[in-house]
Amino acid sequence: MLRFDSVGFSYKGSRAPALDGFSLEAEPGRVMAVLGPNGCGKSTALGIAAGWLKPSSGSFRNSGKASFLPQSERLAYAFTCLEYASFGRAPHLAWLGTPGPRDRELALAALARVGMEGKAGTPITALSGGELQLVRIARALAQDSPWMILDEPTDMLDPGHAVTVGSTIVALAAAGTGILLSTHDLAFALSVADEAALVKDGRVLATGPAAGILDPARLGGLYGVPFGMATVPAPLHAAAGTGR
Amino acid sequence: MGPGLSQAAPGTRRGGATTLLGLALALAATSAAAVLFGRYPEPGFMPLSSLSSDPMAWNVFSLIRVPRVLGAILTGATLGAAGCAFQLVFANPLVDAGFLGVSQGASFGAALALLAGGGSALLFGSTFAFALAALALTGFMAARIRFGGAVLRLVLSGMAVSAFFSAAVSAIKYGADPTNKLPEISYWLMGGLAGSGWARLLLAAPVALLSLAFLVATRWRTTLLSLEEATAASLGSRPALERTLTLGFAAAGVAAVTALAGPVTWVGLIVPHASRLVLGGDGAATIPASALLGALFVVACDAVARGAFPGELPLGIVTAFAGTVAFFALLLRRRLPGGRA
Repeated sequence: MLRFDSVGFSYKGSRAPALDGFSLEAEPGRVMAVLGPNGCGKSTALGIAAGWLKPSSGSFRNSGKASFLPQSERLAYAFTCLEYASFGRAPHLAWLGTPGPRDRELALAALARVGMEGKAGTPITALSGGELQLVRIARALAQDSPWMILDEPTDMLDPGHAVTVGSTIVALAAAGTGILLSTHDLAFALSVADEAALVKDGRVLATGPAAGILDPARLGGLYGVPFGMATVPAPLHAAAGTGR
Repeated sequence: MGPGLSQAAPGTRRGGATTLLGLALALAATSAAAVLFGRYPEPGFMPLSSLSSDPMAWNVFSLIRVPRVLGAILTGATLGAAGCAFQLVFANPLVDAGFLGVSQGASFGAALALLAGGGSALLFGSTFAFALAALALTGFMAARIRFGGAVLRLVLSGMAVSAFFSAAVSAIKYGADPTNKLPEISYWLMGGLAGSGWARLLLAAPVALLSLAFLVATRWRTTLLSLEEATAASLGSRPALERTLTLGFAAAGVAAVTALAGPVTWVGLIVPHASRLVLGGDGAATIPASALLGALFVVACDAVARGAFPGELPLGIVTAFAGTVAFFALLLRRRLPGGRA
């Protein structure tokens, strides 16, 4: 269980709180998508879920450790994809430990899971934006935590890569990992998420089953522009045969 | 598969251990040659037989050259490893100890001690103390800037602290007696191991060795600090604490060897670049490699500085010339190693 209970959060030097009375629950083995306009507090909520930010008020509780994919990442040096994915093993190592053969094996398996094992030896600085995103996800996979927090995981991905990421997320949830992600991609949210939360001005407006809650009226109110409905391909978890 | 990769272990660079072993052997060979190289009994290499037949040769060897070469090893290794750690912590391949005010603080401390005319213990103590004082001032100011991330705040306050101590050094030089104090200060600021002997080496060694041991032991943790702070934290790192410890140990090492050898420029910048060119970005490999390569570079430069010409050249001048030439060579060879494309 991952639970925000009336969480408030303000950034240093900013007057308006980023989160104000934010309450949300996510379950292990489920995918929760957080949606809302830019600046609504999604990334802040995810930062708290990852343990990176501490609530200014209210409480946040988490049943286990989380791996975290921030929206953007500073990557100053040309690590190989395998070296980078191996960083995910850090929580499993002693303070002065370095990744051993078993850690590299798990990192390589994580790369394979997102189809990047062929680039294990390629410097991350030589990857395309989409490939880099897959390798970052592999780093989170290698961490092997009960929770995974993903801030806009399909940002910069072409549709093919987005499907790879979506199937990986659905399979992880089927295996028991709890997933909390933010996205602006409504079709992606509909295809991977079990539940969705609509966030505006630092609080949750509505939460419930993704297919039920992402309707044109609610989305119009959330983003301030009119929405219509169109038929989308079958949800990925149906395609992946997870039966959920 | 990119260049320099092993088939046996996909994704790891070939021969990290081999490279380190090769550097260690090259350092041992160069150091052995350097203790025999100089101007006594005549320019060039001293015959081994003279160590037993000529008491003066033995004294030159044991009292001057051996501590000097050990001082060069210590200086180069510390500057190389600390430079690599600084570049990882700041996630910027262009920083070195000068960015935190450490070098300028050390220069100020030395200038002050030389002006006061104290002995080598005062010179060492003052240099070391002001280097650390400059670092503390940088950290103190950075904590009070109200905008920007932790790294930006450190760089900004480090620039201001460096400029402050530079101005203070200029003020001391301006007021120093031009017949004796001013040249003494000026020569010290060029960097060199000419005045080093066993006594000064033994003053600097404990701090420098402790710094080196810490930097090598934490080399992979330090690599995590080069990632986004939120990422590092989610990987179990405590970025603020670990960054402070790493910068503190690195700066203490730089302060100690600067007190020993004066400001020896370019080593902390160029050596980590060269290491990354061969070994990639992972500090687990590049921090030890930078220590070995830095030691090799300074031992070689110091041998040139003291033995290649009839009069001794300041070491800082030799490392700066050699460093800039090497830097150009690296720049022309490919994009900045380790940097973004």
